[in-house]
Amino acid sequence: MWKYIARRFSTMLFTLFVISLISFAVIQLPPGDYVTSLIARMASQGAGNISQEFQAEMRSLYGLNEPVYMQYLKWMRNILVNGRFGYSFVYQRDAINLIVERLPMSFALAFSSLLFVWAVALPIGIYSAVHQYSTVDYLFSFIGFIGVAVPNFLLALIFLYVSYRVFGRAMVGLFSQDFADAPWSWARVVDLLKHLWIPVIIIGTGGTAGLIRTMRANLLDELNKPYVETARAKGLSENRLLLKYPVRHAMNPFVSTIGWTLPGVVSGEAIVSMVLNLPTAGPVLLGALQAQDMYVAAGFVLLLSTLTVIGTFISDLMLAWVDPRIRLQ
Amino acid sequence: MSDVLLRVRDLRVHFFTDEGIVKAVDGVDLDIERGKTLCLVGESGCGKSVACRSFLNIVQPPGRIVSGEMLFYGGADREPVDLAKLDAKGRQIRQIRGKEISMIFQEPMTSLSPMYTVGNQIMENILLHTGTSKEDAREKAIDLLGQVGIPKPDRLIDEYPFRLSGGMRQRAMIAMALSCHPNLLVADEPTTALDVTTQAQILDLMLELQHNYGMALLFITHDLGVVAEIADDVAVMYLGKIVERATARVIFNEPQHPYTRSLLRSIPKIAMKREELDPIKGMVPSPFRRPEGCTFHPRCPNVMDVCRHVVPSVTQLDDTHTVQCLLYEPEPVEQARS
Amino acid sequence: MSVTESLDIDGPVLDTQVQEEEKFEVASQWQLMWWKFTKHKLAMISLVIVVIFYVVALFCEFFAPTTTTQYRAEYVNAPPQPLRLFLDGQWNPFVYGYLSERDPVSFKRTWTIDEATVIPVGFFVRGTPYRLWGLIPMDRHLVGAKEADQPFYLMGADKNGRDVFSRIIYSSRISLTVGLIGVFLSLTLGILLGGISGLMGGVLDNIIQRIIEVLMSIPHLPLWMALAAVVPLQWSAVRVYFMITLILSLISWTGMARVVRSRFLSLREEDFVMAAKLDGCRRWRLILRHMLPSFLSHIIASVTLAIPGMILGETALSFLGLGLRPPVVSWGVMLQDTQRVAVVALYPWLMWPAAAVVLVVLALYFLGDGLRDAADPYQA
Repeated sequence: MWKYIARRFSTMLFTLFVISLISFAVIQLPPGDYVTSLIARMASQGAGNISQEFQAEMRSLYGLNEPVYMQYLKWMRNILVNGRFGYSFVYQRDAINLIVERLPMSFALAFSSLLFVWAVALPIGIYSAVHQYSTVDYLFSFIGFIGVAVPNFLLALIFLYVSYRVFGRAMVGLFSQDFADAPWSWARVVDLLKHLWIPVIIIGTGGTAGLIRTMRANLLDELNKPYVETARAKGLSENRLLLKYPVRHAMNPFVSTIGWTLPGVVSGEAIVSMVLNLPTAGPVLLGALQAQDMYVAAGFVLLLSTLTVIGTFISDLMLAWVDPRIRLQ
Repeated sequence: MSDVLLRVRDLRVHFFTDEGIVKAVDGVDLDIERGKTLCLVGESGCGKSVACRSFLNIVQPPGRIVSGEMLFYGGADREPVDLAKLDAKGRQIRQIRGKEISMIFQEPMTSLSPMYTVGNQIMENILLHTGTSKEDAREKAIDLLGQVGIPKPDRLIDEYPFRLSGGMRQRAMIAMALSCHPNLLVADEPTTALDVTTQAQILDLMLELQHNYGMALLFITHDLGVVAEIADDVAVMYLGKIVERATARVIFNEPQHPYTRSLLRSIPKIAMKREELDPIKGMVPSPFRRPEGCTFHPRCPNVMDVCRHVVPSVTQLDDTHTVQCLLYEPEPVEQARS
Repeated sequence: MSVTESLDIDGPVLDTQVQEEEKFEVASQWQLMWWKFTKHKLAMISLVIVVIFYVVALFCEFFAPTTTTQYRAEYVNAPPQPLRLFLDGQWNPFVYGYLSERDPVSFKRTWTIDEATVIPVGFFVRGTPYRLWGLIPMDRHLVGAKEADQPFYLMGADKNGRDVFSRIIYSSRISLTVGLIGVFLSLTLGILLGGISGLMGGVLDNIIQRIIEVLMSIPHLPLWMALAAVVPLQWSAVRVYFMITLILSLISWTGMARVVRSRFLSLREEDFVMAAKLDGCRRWRLILRHMLPSFLSHIIASVTLAIPGMILGETALSFLGLGLRPPVVSWGVMLQDTQRVAVVALYPWLMWPAAAVVLVVLALYFLGDGLRDAADPYQA
């Protein structure tokens, strides 16, 4: 058990390291160093000149005059020690402020979508497997295929069009106007929940379709296993038997699918948020990339990926918790 | 009249597949007597596994019990219940399964779920059929594990099956099957997947427990050596039919059906001097293309012309010996049908 | 001689069922696959659709009624003209013309279909001149207005008065080949690394497995976006195109590598591989002659299932403005116009490219699914 966790944990650390390298590469790839492009950008916006001191401070903070690996180390140090992700010239403030503002909502949305995916895919997958080749099974297979084939940003577009046609206005955002900038309150949470279900369904559809197929296939494999027959020969009722044995067994690969569902959901959250203009990380990331505001972009890529990887790690722990074969390794 | 526990008459179990109907069990007659051991013998694919599953009414789609009756005289009042007529998912058959009739399967490796402890799976059966408390069920399970020769049963009860050896798992399976003192234990090749030493131990254990519990044993196997060791009665099955049925002594000493004879001839004997083995010629035909007439005729050493198109019926040779072969049918019947 | 003789003697005795079975027994792996595949109706239909899409992409200049750049300011944002096949009960394909009005206050142009004007439509008509594959100068189009200067907008016009239908057809060339080339790249990477992983095992296998795990656990889209965003703006369209394809395949090779690896691993245990080994078969012959063919069909199925992911990836990136850029036309580039909800609400026909995406992706999924089922030798 501990060996398994230790192995998973070291894999996670390695993954995080690689992610930090990739994110750092995002900062490095555009031509010219950051301060130079910052000056150019500021000048073109007529934002006045940046003092020499500020320039020098920035250069030393990020080690821009030093070799690349030192820049990487300084960047990481700033993040890990000071929680500073760098300066956003578009928003004219530290990237961390933007991240703190946007990321929690992103993850609230991704997590809700994951719950939705589970809550829908699990029962449908079980039903489809038990009633293999029934009309309902075919129907869900077909809907599943469409769910996979229609990318969620298209779904969001279609939803926008329909809502515009039906309600006469586009249903965008996560809050009504009254609550958009209001401080958190119970009423604001209720307002959020009223709006949340739309993006949750849009984001979740693709993942749900995939997961229904996985659950169905897993369960079909398990239904013919000898232990099911043993349980049946004991005189268990079909429903109890189904839940205690094959469904329980099929849950294991299902739990491990969180690992690959989560990156998909986070990706989906990003793009759907852009289309629906939700106050999450997606639109800021897009804006930052379009404006080549690289510290912000890198910060978001780093954090979105990191949280995904941690989520995957947690799902691995859950797997060990539900499967004695892993726990007792 | 002997003390019959399960009387099977003209049982037919068919599988309705896309490629056609497979008649896995095609008119089986059997009597299992209280406290006795009946061995069901046959090659792979002859339908013996399907037959024994149908006694518990757990044949799964596309398979279905098409017709026949299975009278079970198990209850305290010994009133017969026709298992074939019961709803396969209903309460009545579920109270018989695991309590009156238990079953042990071939694969000890996969017949227990790796997700639950051995104790959990044994206690499940006890809790399901008796009103005892969890604590009592646990006591009972530990006691049973001890009876089947598992060392330190109070510790092994909390072990997961995948941590046990094949022989240990099969012992646990037996403990589970016996937990409600069944009248009939159906064992579907319980020793096939085990190595030879373990096989012998498990066989001895089963015989001992059968004696202690006084239950009937239906033992399915293709191993005639095992049959010789344990059987009171023997039924030989070929392509869904019981071709010969008699006491073990008669089957081994005076087999009548050509198939039984071939089976017995095909066993290598230690006394045999470097002769070639005498296998049954030909292969078991495809389930979709059963031969016409007597299904054994393409492989039969005593085949007659009439065998190609006439289906033999059951001939009673004496009180306990029946055979299904045209060689033994009285002439007039044959003419009447041809 | 004796063989033919015995065949001759046996011939008439065999009943058809036996012949059928014999045919089954001697059929090659591919024949078996094909028979199984043809039973899968949805997959067959999908195959036809996919083939049509790729043929259209190949000859897009001919199939499109006009070119991508041909614009007419007087038909900006004109709605679709539905194609009618019969005029007064006679086979005579045509579309109706437009009536346009300008709102005197907002100066906005509104369109109505004018049922009084009939624009005859012909096949193989002369129209906007083009060069097939950029080489052969031609001016014939599969379908178009008989008189070239008449409006012919089957799926409406965009904000520059360009024909949406023609642009969708041209886009298919880019969007579909991004899938093909991307899959080819990831297939090469996948087979190479998956093969090394599965055949060599050991440390190398471990390293490659870790890399795959890392890549699979990162949310693709933010990564794609970040990488695509740093493609320099001044790069030529072709370079951007290959860069985007490369970025897309950078992640998707992992799935392919997993398939290849697990196949090699399971094959290593197979008896026929062991038999070949014991017969003194050399390593490369063993791999190429015995192992590879036995899972080639699986590879083909996985490839088919990987293409739609690529197409969707390109569409998403271009839609966000981070992938391909005008004047290149792809479905994603076309969908950029729909980013603003007001545009979608007023000119819904700009969403047509989405229908093309969904249709081809769906067809590729069904096709891949059918291929995968057919490739599985252990499934009836």
